[in-house]
Amino acid sequence: MREKGAALAETADLTIGYSSRRRCVRVMEHLSVSAGAGELVALIGRNGAGKSTLLRTLVSLQPPIEGTIRLNGRDLQTIGSTLLPRIVSFTSTEPVAERNITVREAVSLGRFPYTNWIGTMTAADRRAVDLALEDTGMLAFAGRRLDSISDGERQRTLIARSLAQDTDLLVMDEPTAFLDLPSRYSIVSLLRKLTREKGKCVVYSTHDLDTALNEADRIWLMHGDGITEGAPEDLILSGTIAHAFESPLLSFSSKEGTFSFVRGKRSGIALEGDPPALSLTEKALGRCGYTVDQKASVKIMVKREKEGWQWTLTEGSEIRCYYTLYDLMVHLSEE
Amino acid sequence: MRDRLPSLKLSLTMTGLLLVTLLLFCADILFGGTPIEAADVVRALFGAGSPESEIIVMEFRLPRALTAVIAGAALSVSGLLMQTLFRNPLAGPDVLGISSGAGLGVALTVLTLSPLFAFSADSPLQGWSMILAAWAGAGMVMVIIMAVSSRMRDIMTVLIVGLMLASAISAVVSLMQYFSNEAMLRTYVIWTMGNLGNISWQQLRALTIAALAGMMLAFVMVKSLNAMLMGDTFSRTVGVPMRSTRLILLAAASILAGSVTAFCGPLAFIGVAVPHVARLFFRTTDHRTLMPGTAICGAAILLASDLISTVPGGGHIIPVNTVTSLIGIPVVLWIILGKNAMGGRR
Repeated sequence: MREKGAALAETADLTIGYSSRRRCVRVMEHLSVSAGAGELVALIGRNGAGKSTLLRTLVSLQPPIEGTIRLNGRDLQTIGSTLLPRIVSFTSTEPVAERNITVREAVSLGRFPYTNWIGTMTAADRRAVDLALEDTGMLAFAGRRLDSISDGERQRTLIARSLAQDTDLLVMDEPTAFLDLPSRYSIVSLLRKLTREKGKCVVYSTHDLDTALNEADRIWLMHGDGITEGAPEDLILSGTIAHAFESPLLSFSSKEGTFSFVRGKRSGIALEGDPPALSLTEKALGRCGYTVDQKASVKIMVKREKEGWQWTLTEGSEIRCYYTLYDLMVHLSEE
Repeated sequence: MRDRLPSLKLSLTMTGLLLVTLLLFCADILFGGTPIEAADVVRALFGAGSPESEIIVMEFRLPRALTAVIAGAALSVSGLLMQTLFRNPLAGPDVLGISSGAGLGVALTVLTLSPLFAFSADSPLQGWSMILAAWAGAGMVMVIIMAVSSRMRDIMTVLIVGLMLASAISAVVSLMQYFSNEAMLRTYVIWTMGNLGNISWQQLRALTIAALAGMMLAFVMVKSLNAMLMGDTFSRTVGVPMRSTRLILLAAASILAGSVTAFCGPLAFIGVAVPHVARLFFRTTDHRTLMPGTAICGAAILLASDLISTVPGGGHIIPVNTVTSLIGIPVVLWIILGKNAMGGRR
C-alpha cells in the first residue's frame, strides 16, 4: 500500500486519437489529469467524447499522439511489456470469448504476468486468486461457469481478475454498463472499498452520473474543450458539469447535483398534505408541467384516509376527490 | 486453473483414454481386410510369421494404425488451435478451407509437377514435396482467412469467406483435373477419399516429424491460448504479443492440418468435432489439459473410424472419410443446436 494521494497515473498535455500512415485523427488534445493511490476516479463525458480512447491510451493499447503518460512515476514508453501488466490492469467492455470458462479459471488468468511459460500456479498465485475471489464476494461462485451467472456477477469476476493481477492501478471501461440499479451501486461500492481497504487506484468510465458524483473521489470530466478534473462538488460549483451535459431538455440542480428534464411551465397549484405523498404529488405535478404555488387559486389537499391516500382538488366552487395520483393527473392534463 | 480440482480425476481420465486408444490401436492391427489369426499377427510383428502375413502386418496394418494415431492427434489439435484463435466453436481445418488449401497444394504436385519430375510413389522426395505443397496451400488459405478476420469483427463473415475459398479452390482443382491424364486423375480422386493405408514407412516418418514439430509449436503457446479465452484486449494488456502469437498459432495449425491432408487426404470433421469431445471428457477450458486430451481423443476416434471402415466389408474398405463424416456431423450439429438451446434458456 502506498501513501494516499501519491500520483499513480498522470498525463501531461496528452493528445489522444488514432494515427496511421495515411492520416491522424485527434480525438482530444491537451489532456492533463492525474489519479492518486487510494482514489476512486470516475471518467465521465458524453457519448463519443473519447472516454474509451483515453483509457486505452492510458493502458498502452494504443499510442498517444502527443504528450506523456506517467504511471507510478515512470514514463509509459519506457515501461516494458513485461513490467506494464504488473503496474496496470485493464477491464474492457469486450465480451469474454469463452463463456464456458469457470469463475476461478477466469480469475486465475489474472496471474498471467507472474506465472511461468506454461502458466503453472504456485501456492502464492493460488492465494492471490482466493483473496481476489473473497474480496469481490465471488468465492461461492468459484466453480460456476461464466455463462451461468448474472451480469453483475460476471463483472465482479472481471474485477476479481484485475485484483488477482495485483496492480496498483485498475482501469475499467464502463464496468457498470448493462447493469440494473442495485448491481451498479454494488459494483461502484466494491470499487470504492478496494480504494479504501487495499489502497488501489481505480479509474473507471461511466454514464451513471448519479453514482459517480456521489461516490468518486475525483472526476475526470471530458467535454468539448478538453478535460477538467476535481472533486465532484468542485465541478458542480464551477458549473462545468452543467455546461458539459448542457441540453435544452435537461436542467442541472447544483443544490442536489442531479439532472432533471426541463418542462414547459404551466400554471401554479397550491399543495398541502402529509408526507411522503406530498413530495410525490409535487413530482407528478412537475411532470405534467405544474409548479407548486401556495397562492394559486387551484388547490390540492392530500390526506391519508382509512382506505388509503386521497387527493382533494378544489377549483373555485368545484371539489373533486381522487384515490390515485394517476386519475388526478389525467384530469389535470385534460385541462 | 485446474490446479485446484482433484488432479486424481484428471489423471484417471487421461489414463483411461490412453488405455482405450491402446486397445483400439491393437484392434486396428488385429483386424483388417484380409483375415489373419491374432497369433499370426503377433508373430508377424516379431518377425516370426508367415511371409504373407508379415507383409500385410508390417507394410500395411502397422503403418496404417500409426498413421491413424498421428493424423487423428494432429488434425484435432489443429482444430483446437483454430477454435481458440478464431473464437469460434465451429472453426476447423475443413470448415475454413484449410484442408482445401492443402488439397490444392497436393493437386498441384500430383497433377502437374509429378509428370515433370517423374516421382516414383515411394521416393522420399515426393513425400516432402507433397508435404511442403500442402503446407503452402494450407498456409495461404490461413493467411487470407486471418487477413479477413482482422478486418471483419463478425466471425460469420470469416466462415463464409472460408467456404467461398474452398469452393474457389475446388473449381481450380477441377480445371486442373480436366487437363490431366487418367492415371494422375485416379491418384488424385483416390486421395480425396481419405486413406490412412496408402502411406509408406518413409512418408510416415515425414508425417511424424512434421506432426511432432507442429504439436511442439502449439504446446509452447498454451499459456497465451489460455489468455486468449478472455479476449484479445485482455491478452494484450497482460503482455501477450498478439501479432507473433497469431502467426505462430497459424503456422502450427497449418503444419498440422497440411501434413495430414497431404498424405491421408482431407479427413472430414475430425478437426472440428474432436476438441468438443475432449472438452466433454475433461470439463475444462484450460489448454494445458485440453491439448493433450484432444490429441489422445483424436487418435482414438480416427483409430475407431479406421476399424469401422475396414471390418464390416470383409475384403472391401469403405473410404475412411465417410466414417469420420458420419461420426463428426452429429457432433457438429450437437454443438450448433446445443449452443443455441443454451443461449435461449439462459
